[in-house]
Amino acid sequence: MKKLMIALGALAIALASTAASAQEKLIVSVWGGNWKDGAAIIAKEFTKRTGMEVEFITGGTLDRLAKAKVAKDNPESDVVYTTSHVGYLYQSDGLFEKLDKSKLSNFANLYPAADRGDYEVGVYSYVYSPVFRTDLMPKDFRITSWNDLWSDAVAGKLSMPDFDPSHIIVASSILAGGDAATWEKGVPLLEKLKPNIKAFYQSDATSQDLLKTGETPVQIMLSINAYHLIQNGVPITIEIPKEGAVVGIGALGINKGTKKLDAAQEFINVALDPVVQQEICDFHKCSPMNKDAKVSPELAKLPGIFTTPEQWSTQAIVTPDEVQAKLLPTWKAWFTENMMQ
Amino acid sequence: MSKRPFLIPFLVPAILVAVIFLAALAEILQYSLREFIPGSLDVGGFTLDNFARIYRPVYFKAVINTFVLSLATAFFTLILSYPIAFALVRTKVEWVRTLLILLSITPLFTGEIVRTYAWMLVLGTNGFLNTMLLDIGVISEPVTFMYTRAGVVIALVQFAMPVMIIILATAISHINTDYEKAAANLGARPWTVITRVVIPLTMPGIISGFIVIFAWTMSAFATPQLIGGGKVLMISNAIYLQGFSALNFPFAATLSVIALISAFASLALMKLIANRLERQTAIH
Repeated sequence: MKKLMIALGALAIALASTAASAQEKLIVSVWGGNWKDGAAIIAKEFTKRTGMEVEFITGGTLDRLAKAKVAKDNPESDVVYTTSHVGYLYQSDGLFEKLDKSKLSNFANLYPAADRGDYEVGVYSYVYSPVFRTDLMPKDFRITSWNDLWSDAVAGKLSMPDFDPSHIIVASSILAGGDAATWEKGVPLLEKLKPNIKAFYQSDATSQDLLKTGETPVQIMLSINAYHLIQNGVPITIEIPKEGAVVGIGALGINKGTKKLDAAQEFINVALDPVVQQEICDFHKCSPMNKDAKVSPELAKLPGIFTTPEQWSTQAIVTPDEVQAKLLPTWKAWFTENMMQ
Repeated sequence: MSKRPFLIPFLVPAILVAVIFLAALAEILQYSLREFIPGSLDVGGFTLDNFARIYRPVYFKAVINTFVLSLATAFFTLILSYPIAFALVRTKVEWVRTLLILLSITPLFTGEIVRTYAWMLVLGTNGFLNTMLLDIGVISEPVTFMYTRAGVVIALVQFAMPVMIIILATAISHINTDYEKAAANLGARPWTVITRVVIPLTMPGIISGFIVIFAWTMSAFATPQLIGGGKVLMISNAIYLQGFSALNFPFAATLSVIALISAFASLALMKLIANRLERQTAIH
């Protein structure tokens, strides 16, 4: 019995010390792998400025959302790093604190695309755009418009994500004279695209595999993945169609019920700092949200990297988060039922 | 009546697990009857609309695909595994047995994802199989294996073979070889001995293996996801797409309920056929 009491006492002390150490740290929920390494750039500067350590909890986009919903008022994390339209789901379910923008000194210097409403703020952007293997397509093949994906040269060679069909749906709607909200206008075009689609990919890994192996020489691809393949010697051309590329935004929000609200606000402010933005974008090969961030010339010249207001207005297709969050299930259902069979 | 001192301590964890399992199933059933609210994780009131949606071609096809692919996988796994299991049990050469064990059972120790990725490299347009067939002049154009049912079945069969081999080898090892010797002494040819003696005697193993692989394949996810590339949807892939892409948890729950009912119905049907088959092939 005495041994048992000692063991229980030790366990209680261990648990108490864990809880105490958690209280001293800012907990940030983020994707794993490369994305966590990118968030670590913010964490490093945040710790330098505040003295507070940052601890990451990692997971996929949706399982983190599901966990936040289960935890509700007793969140596991203080800050959430996610995609902006998923951020809308956090806020619509009351899982985000309203941001105090007066405490975000860097907010004033952001591109308009960074303003994702009262509950989240964009940190960086990437694009989904058509890419192709230059060695596996005809020499004169180019994609100057999304319309080129319908050409005979692409027949049976195209792949796109099955987890998020919003890019092709929005692009088709724009080609048909509509936009994200009036997506049905693009339906006849989408139906005509079916013979050109060879496969759908489910993850960044399978996306890269399809292009690397030449299984699908043309793909609607996340720019960051395309740059990664180019770095590894795969002959790829990334095209920004004249209608623009479909923008995705990585965003930060604060968990409702956090006991470290001020620290969470400061973490977001640090993320928007021009120097930190430059480091994040050099690391991820993404576009900064702070106009004062100076990315390297090599990065700035990559297609899909927006560093001027002019590029944002002419090359970016930005869908409002609310529209995307509310329509994505409808798009997904329509896409599954009509395009994937 | 004998005392069973360990009965209650052993039963309590089992009951606890069963209760948790049933609670999860009840939650899925409850979700399947709720209305989906776009742009929210909350669900609406009770509705039967989710079940009406099942009849849309893509979901109906996913259910049929699941049944057909599971049946095909179980069948081809059985056909390919039986000779290996037989050789494994009956060979008298130790190194041959070791080699067969290594080749057939070792894949069990690699994960589903690893094996599926390996098959993607083999079955691709520029993969090993196409390159080899092109090099030896069997084909002049690459054959499409990826994103087809055939490709999915090939990968699933290889995935299922180790388990089938273990089940069949166990069944074959229990046959008294005197029966085979007696049949041979009475003039039966080797093929007749196999078909009239060995196979009927191993019928319980064949049926168990078939049912295990069929049930296992019904819940296959990663292989059809990666090899099928969205062109071959099985029910688990459809559930994933609805739950984790569209965030439509009510409809994902409905598909899960349908998957469960389909699995139970298929297994009941198979058990019925198996019982009849076992009675017919029994040696009297």
